[in-house]
Amino acid sequence: MSQKFEEKPGEGTVKLRVRRGVGSDPATDRFDEFVVPMEKGMVVLNAIHYIQAHLDPSLSARWNCKAGRCGSCSAEINGRPRLMCKTPVESIEGDVVVEPMKAFPRLKDIVTDVDANWKVAAMIPPFTPKPGAGEIFRFYQQDVDRSREFRRCIECFLCQDVCHVVREHEADYVGPRWVVKAASLDMHPMDGLNRSKFMKDKGGLGYCNITKCCQEICPEHIVITDDAIIPEKERVVDREYDPLVWVYRHLRGSKEAEAQSFRATGGAP
Amino acid sequence: MGLRSDWKYLLPYELLEPNWRLWSFVAVLAVGFWAVVAFPVAQFAGYIDPFYSPTVLIVPLPGVFRLTCYAYRKDYHRHLFKHPQGCSNADRGEAAGRKYTGERNAVFQLENFHRYFLYAGIAILPFFYYDFGYSLVYSGQFVLRLGSLVLLANALMLTGWTLSCHAFRHLVGGNIDCYSCVAAGNARKGIYDKQSWLNSHHEALAWISLLTIVFVDLYLRGLAAGLPIDVTFLRF
Amino acid sequence: MWSSKSERVEVKVDEKSFEEKVCDVLVIGGGGAGLRAAIEAHDKKANTLVVCKSLLGKAHTVMAEGGIAAALGNVDPEDGWQVHFSDTIVEGQYLSNWRMAEIFAKEAIERVYELERYGALFDRTPEGKISQRPFGAHTYRRLCHIGDRTGLELIRTLEDQVIARGIPFMDEVMVTSIIKDGGGGRAAAALGIDIRTGMLILFRFKAVILATGGCGKVYEVTSNSYESTGDGVSMAYRAGAELMDMEMIQFHPTGMIYPAGVRGMLVTEAVRGEGGILTNAKGERFMTKYDPKRMELSARDVVARAIYSEIVAGRGTKNGAVYLDISHRGADYIKKKLPSMYDQFLEFAGVDITKERMEVAPTVHYQMGGVRVDPETGETSVRGIYAAGEVASGLHGGNRLGGNSLSDILVFGRRAGGAAADVAAGMDVPEFDRKELESEVGRVLSPFSSAGNANPFYLKEAIAKNMWKHVGIMRNEADLTAGLKELEAISTEARKSKAVGARAYNQSWLDTLQVWDMILVSEAIIRSALERKESRGAHTRSDFPEKSEEWLMNIITVQKGEKMTHELRPVPKLPPELAALIKE
Repeated sequence: MSQKFEEKPGEGTVKLRVRRGVGSDPATDRFDEFVVPMEKGMVVLNAIHYIQAHLDPSLSARWNCKAGRCGSCSAEINGRPRLMCKTPVESIEGDVVVEPMKAFPRLKDIVTDVDANWKVAAMIPPFTPKPGAGEIFRFYQQDVDRSREFRRCIECFLCQDVCHVVREHEADYVGPRWVVKAASLDMHPMDGLNRSKFMKDKGGLGYCNITKCCQEICPEHIVITDDAIIPEKERVVDREYDPLVWVYRHLRGSKEAEAQSFRATGGAP
Repeated sequence: MGLRSDWKYLLPYELLEPNWRLWSFVAVLAVGFWAVVAFPVAQFAGYIDPFYSPTVLIVPLPGVFRLTCYAYRKDYHRHLFKHPQGCSNADRGEAAGRKYTGERNAVFQLENFHRYFLYAGIAILPFFYYDFGYSLVYSGQFVLRLGSLVLLANALMLTGWTLSCHAFRHLVGGNIDCYSCVAAGNARKGIYDKQSWLNSHHEALAWISLLTIVFVDLYLRGLAAGLPIDVTFLRF
Repeated sequence: MWSSKSERVEVKVDEKSFEEKVCDVLVIGGGGAGLRAAIEAHDKKANTLVVCKSLLGKAHTVMAEGGIAAALGNVDPEDGWQVHFSDTIVEGQYLSNWRMAEIFAKEAIERVYELERYGALFDRTPEGKISQRPFGAHTYRRLCHIGDRTGLELIRTLEDQVIARGIPFMDEVMVTSIIKDGGGGRAAAALGIDIRTGMLILFRFKAVILATGGCGKVYEVTSNSYESTGDGVSMAYRAGAELMDMEMIQFHPTGMIYPAGVRGMLVTEAVRGEGGILTNAKGERFMTKYDPKRMELSARDVVARAIYSEIVAGRGTKNGAVYLDISHRGADYIKKKLPSMYDQFLEFAGVDITKERMEVAPTVHYQMGGVRVDPETGETSVRGIYAAGEVASGLHGGNRLGGNSLSDILVFGRRAGGAAADVAAGMDVPEFDRKELESEVGRVLSPFSSAGNANPFYLKEAIAKNMWKHVGIMRNEADLTAGLKELEAISTEARKSKAVGARAYNQSWLDTLQVWDMILVSEAIIRSALERKESRGAHTRSDFPEKSEEWLMNIITVQKGEKMTHELRPVPKLPPELAALIKE
């Protein structure tokens, strides 16, 4: 049913090359070409919808809010991890090439299985109010700002996709998304856990080599490396490397509880 | 195949990616070493060359400070080790299959002592201002010359780079989770916010400060070679 | 950590085989209501399973922006649950169930503090308390907020709690129907599709909680997500449950209109809460005509009708919208308080709202009606089926106040979870009706063997266009009847809808099933709208423009045989001590 491109597209059209295939089966892996009418302000997801409704209903694509809020429609567009709903077709020179995220196993066409993230999420020690925080917390706006940035995360997992440690080495590193999560908890003004030892030993924070691709592609413009990963690394230094901090902590007596790996359950029963 | 909105793609990749900073750093290290050893121009006409400030003995400290700097780490991991070279599929190079340990092996764990080199870096900073001050008095007179301004610019850029350091950010307030729970929390949050602004320019400052050092060195060498490039603005 | 590849990718699916999963409490829906219900049921020691149609954490709750309404009185100490109760009843045009509103107003307060203890980071007052902002038709400043991303924070916080507790969940599973026990009196199982593999799953349970959200996608211009296709309402109706007030569809006054790809995308009420001003194309601040007292912060139905009237009268912009302006608050303030709106307009429309005006028009936002539930427990009229959140009806009456839905999902999600767990503790897993299951499996798989060739994606568009055209803000008998007629034509076509390809991640299959649900829900909306011969709240009839005392009725929709029937039931009368709290 897929339409093969034969003539040059006219003024008001755009050509899409969409990567198709089922699971990891190489026999089904291919690019299909579609020609879609251009509309002003159209995003790549609109083009995918047009294909489904008018050209090929067998095309699978995950999407939900269509407003850049839910993080479902992650894909690699012309080689760059992006949200389909936030990528204007007009911004792309030449054909639009849509591929699935490569860090995750493909389910079908441009839909990938991001389940592994939930297993990692379950390892992160959860929010634990510090002793004496009370039933109704009292803290101030200046305490909120830092952790707030990380709460913009829509879990599109594009940072996980672009991270070479996850993507190319499959190393035991939680990945940018989950460092951001740990940072959002560590920097919560009422949280009583210290996740540094966990981040070093189980979280694999040392695998990150600050090459900042996650920060470059984050659709929510979270400054992942500078604001989350590096501060987490500095906290690991405090906890595990710096002799002066070690002496200071032992003289003063540490108030923070040590958090180790939480659990490795959750996900599908 | 590029994205039109990404102006980066309009220019050759090599021009914009920060590996220039890395290569210039390597070049500066090499030239610096060569210059110090082979053609010392430690001081000329009342100017002190930054390579000799305060003494040649501590040159390695700023060098290691740069080596362990988060900005330079990005550079050599991308462009030397190519883990990964770039972020888009076309640029990232082939990394899969090659062994990768990140910053976890014995050598790279030393990166974790970056903050100690920061302390050294901060300790050295006053000397650059001393050099500036020193250059203002020449042959018994107070003079303001172009060379002094160059030295001042260099000192300022080095200060900017040093104080925009991520480890410094951690020190001035990044290590606090609840500002209202600690003494002088609001003041520390204020300092932290200002430092954060500076920190967001850390990569740029890392390069600019490197270039200014080289520029000062070249400027002095030019003077030593007799080029008429110095201008005197004031003399008392 | 990343080397273990997904097991699901390689699953081979046989024709009619299915997996069986047994639990005490099945929660259908992974939004705020579903997750809060799951937490409560789990904490009450019930063996709980959450299934949701999208990925975990993507449910429509993420789209909630402005805040969560609860009378904490942090900013306005005069506020209390009594005032919140009164606001809810009055602006619900007296259609709300008083007991639900009472429970809601009282318990919302504790739910907000609880959310904070779960780790949500609310904006603060200068005294370090949770900050509260003004919102349409709330007497006092009442909306606790996290910038303009309150829903995202709420769902992420609950998601963390679910994961931390180790509550099992299966995302990307679409439940299609509820199967009763042999006697037909109690729900016993549910049939679902594992979207990723196409495998059928039979969930057996002691109690099931519907937390499936609304049905905004039956309209063309809507702020709703892909998922909001009314599956829960349809499932409950097919299982024999009573629906209530289905004609009550909220039109949010401000949605984006331009560019076409994002038409309907929500522009949060917080823009008006923070001082945004509405003007028509002639530059007149038209709200002075419609509600001079509350102006832009009037109730949603009032503002939506006002904007609609301005556009219809030709005082709209050339894109068919009005202007909303917040630029006078200054760039810093806007970026701090409305960061998402700033990004949204800049990225999608190229409009800098710190300098320029926005163009806005009404968009379908919320379903006030839904499955009728018991106020205390959330149980529907079918034993064993509970409902909470947007899928349930009774709290919001004829018009929902902004911010009330986030507190609604927490209050009634928790109650439904608790009640379901209590019931489950005292019983065994009931046997299900095998005949019913067989016929349901047949129905679910039929799109693959369909003789026709109708495209479900196209049918979805057709349904949405029809509803927008005929069942919009202004309704009348002729339009509604025409809408019903066109719906019947679409329905005939939909029987020929075809699923193309294999079963794994087959959207033409899933969308066909959704199309059938959407048709059912659309029919319920149109028929209820025909039934209510007055104008009240969100339901405006140009042929019956007045509000009438006689119509203090809830319209009940229920299946009798194959037929959709309606019944009028008087709204329960407020007891005197609560009636005394009402202030108009």
